Amino acid sequence: MGKIEPAEDLSFVITRHFDAPARLLFEAWSRPEHLRRWFGPVGWPLTLCEVDFRVGGRFRFAMTGPDGRQNTPFGGEYLEITPGRRIVYDNGFDAPGAEKMIVTVSFEETSGRTLLTMHTLFASKAMKAMHLGAGFEWGVGSGLDQLAEMVAGMEQPTVG
Amino acid sequence: MLEAGHLDRVFGALADPTRRAILARLAEGEATVNELVAPFGLSQPTISKHLKVLQGAGLVSRGRAAQFRPVRLEAAPLAEAAGWIGNYRGFWEAGLERLEAYVEELKGKESGHGED
Repeated sequence: MGKIEPAEDLSFVITRHFDAPARLLFEAWSRPEHLRRWFGPVGWPLTLCEVDFRVGGRFRFAMTGPDGRQNTPFGGEYLEITPGRRIVYDNGFDAPGAEKMIVTVSFEETSGRTLLTMHTLFASKAMKAMHLGAGFEWGVGSGLDQLAEMVAGMEQPTVG
Repeated sequence: MLEAGHLDRVFGALADPTRRAILARLAEGEATVNELVAPFGLSQPTISKHLKVLQGAGLVSRGRAAQFRPVRLEAAPLAEAAGWIGNYRGFWEAGLERLEAYVEELKGKESGHGED
């Protein structure tokens, strides 16, 4: 464990309104046959989708990219489930020593419309920076910007 | 996509100014360890230690056959790390947009069962 960091520095929140009851959204988050239909960007289907939807149960997902290669699986444990209202789980890559984020998804319904709030608590500033694009600010300095730009414009080095 | 442990190693390797300078030098072309020692004013063991970190992150590779085992830059992990950064928001916005379309479909199915 590293040093303790203030929780607000480690959080990220995303919200969206849906013209649908909370009950349906909750269901869409809780069953693999639904999750497979919407999880992640277009072109990155969930080709591994194991869901044991109960407190203490686990999920394990992996997505296959446009190159046909299945990427590193990720998953975690359901920590809290309040039907129609709230799901809390942790999530991390299936790799030794991989840090985990804690995700709280809440559904607030008002006259048939639902506000979905997804709150992510990252394990460290570095983890947050890595996921949110502040990576270049995270003790790395401007040298990396130039290096990354340069590398992006480079051909793959020839071998031999 | 790089797995998280590998990303940690890439970012750990990039967090050091000497290692970034070594990468910048290697972007101009491969070099032997001796060629890297000279411009940095560091001892060979120190340079070797940095190279080991860079190698562990997959950012450089060493020639096998050649006598002086030249060091070369491996651009792929760096490009992947740069591309992967900042994906989280986009990832979820894309997913929630699909969710919106999908719940419309679910609503349609429910009303199709005679509720509306």
